Amino acid sequence: MPSELLKGLRLLDLTDEKGALCGKMFADLGAEVIKVEPPAGCSTRRIPPYLEDKADPEHCLYSIAYHAGKKSVTANLATRDGRALVADLAARSDFLVESHPLGYLESIGLGYDALAKKNPRLIYASITPFGDTGPGKDYNWADIITWAAGGMMYLMGEEGKPPIQMSLPQAGLHAGAEAAVAMMLAHYPRQIDGLGQRIVVNMQACIVWTLMNEQAMPLLHGNHLTRTGIFVGSAEARRKMVYECKDGHISILITGGTTLGNSTKALIEWMGEKGFGSDWMRTKDWISWVPGAFMQMTAQDRAEVDDLEATISRFLLTMTKHEIYAQGLKRRIFLAPVATAADIATDEQLKARDFWITVPHDTLGRTLTFPGPFVKMSATPIGSTTRAPRIGEHSDEIYRSLLGLAPERLTRLRAAGSI
Amino acid sequence: MARFALEGVHILDFAWVGVGPITTKYFADNGADVIRVESAARLDVLRIGPPWKDAMPGVNRSQFFASFNSSKKGITLDLSKPKARELAKRLVPWADIIVESFTPKAMRNWGLDYENLRELRPDLIMLSTCMQGQTGPNALYPGFGQLMAALSGFYYISGYGQGSCTPPYGAYTDFIAPRFSAFTLLAALDYRRRTGKGQYIDMAQYECAMQNLAPALIDYHATGRVLGPHGNASARYAPHGAYRCADEDGNERWIAIAVADDEQWRAMLSVLGTSSSNSAFATASARIENSAALDEFVGSFTRTHNAQELTAKLQSAGVAAYPVENCVDIHQDDNLEAFGFWHWLEHKEMGPSPYEGLEHRMSRTPGTLRSAAPILGQDNDEVFRGMLSLSADEIEQLKKENVIF
Repeated sequence: MPSELLKGLRLLDLTDEKGALCGKMFADLGAEVIKVEPPAGCSTRRIPPYLEDKADPEHCLYSIAYHAGKKSVTANLATRDGRALVADLAARSDFLVESHPLGYLESIGLGYDALAKKNPRLIYASITPFGDTGPGKDYNWADIITWAAGGMMYLMGEEGKPPIQMSLPQAGLHAGAEAAVAMMLAHYPRQIDGLGQRIVVNMQACIVWTLMNEQAMPLLHGNHLTRTGIFVGSAEARRKMVYECKDGHISILITGGTTLGNSTKALIEWMGEKGFGSDWMRTKDWISWVPGAFMQMTAQDRAEVDDLEATISRFLLTMTKHEIYAQGLKRRIFLAPVATAADIATDEQLKARDFWITVPHDTLGRTLTFPGPFVKMSATPIGSTTRAPRIGEHSDEIYRSLLGLAPERLTRLRAAGSI
Repeated sequence: MARFALEGVHILDFAWVGVGPITTKYFADNGADVIRVESAARLDVLRIGPPWKDAMPGVNRSQFFASFNSSKKGITLDLSKPKARELAKRLVPWADIIVESFTPKAMRNWGLDYENLRELRPDLIMLSTCMQGQTGPNALYPGFGQLMAALSGFYYISGYGQGSCTPPYGAYTDFIAPRFSAFTLLAALDYRRRTGKGQYIDMAQYECAMQNLAPALIDYHATGRVLGPHGNASARYAPHGAYRCADEDGNERWIAIAVADDEQWRAMLSVLGTSSSNSAFATASARIENSAALDEFVGSFTRTHNAQELTAKLQSAGVAAYPVENCVDIHQDDNLEAFGFWHWLEHKEMGPSPYEGLEHRMSRTPGTLRSAAPILGQDNDEVFRGMLSLSADEIEQLKKENVIF
């Protein structure tokens, strides 16, 4: 069962991979989410990888994950009837989210102004790669393009090699989630005065926002980071943040200060028990070793950090990710395994919180295990979800019950290729 | 009509560092009154995190802290003192929403957990956000977003291939979780309006992060396949990656390009002033198959081009491309500029300072950064005198006792 939180609200989802997560979030909280796609299926139905490498829409992992909990109707926007159906659906919806090229929906009579005339309550969000006014407003898009434009790509990778993105593209997911927040922000005043509005989401800005404190570095310190692989910090104050262990990698934050300094102390004690480390490490006052010092490391700091990092490198190679993480938890050391999907799937914490949910897929003749809810709520818990709909699975149901179309009319629309 | 979407919404914000403050920033920038309760005895670590005004550290000089706390009020209370907790409790009836982000036992130990606070405001909505959630064996896991990004799988899918690990910058998951928490809180507000019921929300940043990896996790559970690092290789696009352009002022420049089909491939070749009769690049599937050789081929042509000029040419030919921007570039980016993304706000101690703006724009009730982040204890008088009606003498006494601190 999805949550009861947004029960009674309806969202029309006209997005592709620039926003599919938005509708998924609404569905998880109990809204009715109707995905509107072309008769041959939306482009998100053809995103690899596929379950068991079977390259068909039913096995598309992206669709399985991000269309779960939604309903699907088909509408051919190239036809007048198809467009009229979507306009009628929008007249009966609370939210509409879309990610078509800018101006396309306006050009076919499905822009905000046209739809709001019939339904002033409508909240209509357009997800754009680069906003709606700049020179890039009509730019061609792929996820990697926003990763580059938002500044994150520049910071990922090693010197001498190209900047990279993650193996699972992220920019469209950030934009989808941002659209969900923005539409709920707009929902609040609508509950007071009954009026909706238009929202433009800027995906490039969504990625810039992930840069944390780095954005202002050039303006305030006159420098900026470059790709540093497993290191963090400016060239002279560089610290290693990823270490090899027996069966993979470990991330550790070595620093000072009240909280973090205790973590470093605990690590050094642990190493000492196993015969690693030297006297200076055990006597050093890590608490007063303030992070500020790292912006410009003294020669002594540098030498100490180098020695410490070399020691930790040797130490961690003697153990597995699992062993190191267990000790880190026990000793309250700021570290984490570089977890794989396998590590995450077997993680004790997620199991103890009953995180994973099972979703029957009659279409595949099996049950799949999904990541569970993003929050646990006391009054309106999010339970399980339903499998992603087949392309157009709910066309009959929605067009009949919501728009009151007669079966003969549906047959005619189908024959004409409108649905 | 309200000028801002959330006018009249009140939030008491005990959160610190990233996720909690970023969550309440959505509310503050949209007109809600957000009071951040801080403690000089246990300073928000971001207050001393770089970058600082003039590169000089200080509790009121950090843009790291400032960026996450625009439009908010700030008061100081040392919650380890009973008197401070009593003052905090007196603000609870005012609050529609309370947000906190300590490790799970802290609020309970202080008697400031949901069960206690709802006595003061029965329809209270309270969000606790921490690394791994309020329950379970690892609930007390200490850590920051950097580590969470490793723990939740993002480090592992960042690299050039098996054995390579080149993580995303910073606390990546701190920028995933707040969208889920803000969305949930807004929905909870609406639910309360309809039903009169508040509730408690337990948010693990770990579990939010999983949402951005869902396809890979579903795949692993079903088939045992583990998604690994594979650089910029793609099963959909080729070329797909970052290609070296002409250096500028001694700095290396790169362009990201993604080519989906034959038409775009031919358009790209034409822009690069070349052609290819290599059968290894003849079809989309052949190009994907031979992406390593293809990357070398494309890179040999981009090397002489200016990244920005090449972007404009490729885009007008229908090819997805953009310069790989660094943090200097993003401040000069025409598209962000046209969106009005950057804001320079007047901060009490830092003076004019660069803030990221909102990532969306609303037509009727647009949010904006209403004020710079508060300096430590900036609004003590307004809150303690104005809202709680303490006298100047009482406030003075509480300051002496380091209760207001």
